[in-house]
Amino acid sequence: MHCDIHLCLLFLSKMPLHKYPPRLWEALKLKKGIYARLPQHYLKSLQDTSPPTPVHWKSLGVKYRANPKTGHRERVQDVPVPIYYPPESRDGLWGGEGWIRGYRYANNDKLSARVKKTWKPQLFKRELYSEILDQKFNITVTARTLDLIDAAYGFDFYILKTPKQDLNSKFGMDLKRAMLLQLARKDTELYPDDPAQREKIYNKYKQFEIPAEEAEWVGLSIEEAVEKQRLLEHKDPEPLYKSCVENLVKELAMQKLTEPQLMEKKD
Amino acid sequence: MFARAPARFVLQSVCACLRTQSFSHTACRNTVIVERWWQVPLSKEGSAPRLHPRRHRVYRLVEDTKHHMKDKMELLLTQTVPKLGGRGDTVFVKKSLGRNKLLAEGLAVYPSPENKELFAEERRLLREGKREDRIQTRTGQLTVEFLKKSALEVGIQPAAQQQFHLTKEIVCRHFLRKLGVVVPPHALTLPDEPITQFGDFWCEVTVNGLDTVRVQLSVGPYVDPRKKKLMKLEAAAAATENKPETDPE
Repeated sequence: MHCDIHLCLLFLSKMPLHKYPPRLWEALKLKKGIYARLPQHYLKSLQDTSPPTPVHWKSLGVKYRANPKTGHRERVQDVPVPIYYPPESRDGLWGGEGWIRGYRYANNDKLSARVKKTWKPQLFKRELYSEILDQKFNITVTARTLDLIDAAYGFDFYILKTPKQDLNSKFGMDLKRAMLLQLARKDTELYPDDPAQREKIYNKYKQFEIPAEEAEWVGLSIEEAVEKQRLLEHKDPEPLYKSCVENLVKELAMQKLTEPQLMEKKD
Repeated sequence: MFARAPARFVLQSVCACLRTQSFSHTACRNTVIVERWWQVPLSKEGSAPRLHPRRHRVYRLVEDTKHHMKDKMELLLTQTVPKLGGRGDTVFVKKSLGRNKLLAEGLAVYPSPENKELFAEERRLLREGKREDRIQTRTGQLTVEFLKKSALEVGIQPAAQQQFHLTKEIVCRHFLRKLGVVVPPHALTLPDEPITQFGDFWCEVTVNGLDTVRVQLSVGPYVDPRKKKLMKLEAAAAATENKPETDPE
C-alpha cells in the first residue's frame, strides 16, 4: 500500500503538466488557425464581457453604504441572480428577461419547506414594424420589451441602441446586422424607389452608420463567423497541368526570343 | 451609469444623466424581481462571491411589476383625434391605446426631442406666420362653435341703472362669468355708438385672430339668480296649468 502511494507520487511528479491550464484553452483557441484571421473588429466584439443590465434583481448601485443596524460605513457588493435563457429567447425579443430557476420557502417562512420554483416571463406575440427594413415582423416579446421600445422612441432605435448583452437574442442581433447593412448600402437597398423617404430615414438613423465590411460581421456567432471567413478564403484547387502549360509556354517563348538573334548572326 | 456612481455624485450628474441615461435603466413593468433569503458573504474585491449551493438559490419574490398601477405613455398627435386633441398636442394615453391605435395607425408619434422640436417649430409658424398660412386650432374651432350657439346677458345693478356706460372690460367679465370664456379686450369689438341703455346689441369676438363670431348681447336690469329661478319655476307651473285648459279647447 505504502509502496503504491509512493509510486503514484513519483508518477505524478514525472507526469507532464499541460502547457497551458485548461481554463485558458478557449481563449487560446482564438489565437491560432482560422480564428486568428477573423477581422479585428469582430474579435474585439467577442472580448466585450460587460455585464447585462440587472432585470430580475435590484442592483444596490453603491459600493459603500451605512449599515442599517449600526450605521457604520461598510462595503457592499451586488451578487447577480443567475438567469436561465431558454433557446426560445434567442428567436424573440425578451428584453433581457429569462427564467429564474431556484427555490422559495413555503408560506414565505424561512423555517418552512424549501420548494422548487421557476419564475417565467409572460410572453406576447406582437407585430412590430421596422422603418429601415420597411417590413413587419411577428415577434415574441415581453411587456418589458414594449416599454423599452417606447423609451427608445421606436423599434429601430431600440434594436440599434441596445448593446448585445442587453438585447440577448440571436434574432435581435440578426435584425441589427440587417439594419446596419441597409444603412451602409443605402444607395442601392434603402427604399430604392422612394428617394425622399430614403433621405428622411437615412438622416434619422445616420448616427448608427458603420462601414458595410464591419456591419456584415455584427452579431454573428463564432461558428457563423468561422464559416464566413472560410468561404472568403476558399479557393478552388487549381489543376497542376495549368501551371505546367504556363511554364512550357514561357520556356518556348524564351527559346523563340533567343533563336532569331542567332539566325540574324548566321545571315 | 446611475447605478455605479457613488451617492454624492448622483445629484451633480443628474442633469447630464437625464439626457444621456441609458433607456435600459428606466423603470419597467411586468418583470419579476427576486432577492435571496440568505445573505451572501462579502468577497474580496475583484473576486467573485462564493455562493452556497443550496441556500443561495432560495429566492424571495420582491415584486411582480405586472400587478402595479399601469401608468400612461406620452405621445405627440399628428392629426386631430376626437376626444384627445389636435395636431401637435402632447397627450397622455393608456399604453394599449397608444401602441395599438395611435402609433399603429400613424395618428401619433413618439415625443422624441427631434419630433418635439419639429412640432414646436410648426406651432411657432402657425402663430407668427402669414395670415393666409395660419389654420384655426382644434380648440379654436370648438370655441367658435360654442360662441355661435350662445348669447350673452348683461345685468346692470339698480344703483347704476340711471346712468351707465358698457365698456369692453365689463363685457369681457360677463363673458367669463356667464359663459366661462376668456375674451381678452383686444379680441372684442363693441358697436360704434356707446351702449348706455337697455336693449339687444351685437358684439364681435375674434378667436385666435382668425375667425370672428357675432354674439348677441342683451343688456337688462340685474335680477337675483334665485329670483330668476323662482320666476322660471312659476312660468313653468303656469304653462302646465294653462295646458289642460287650452288642450280641450
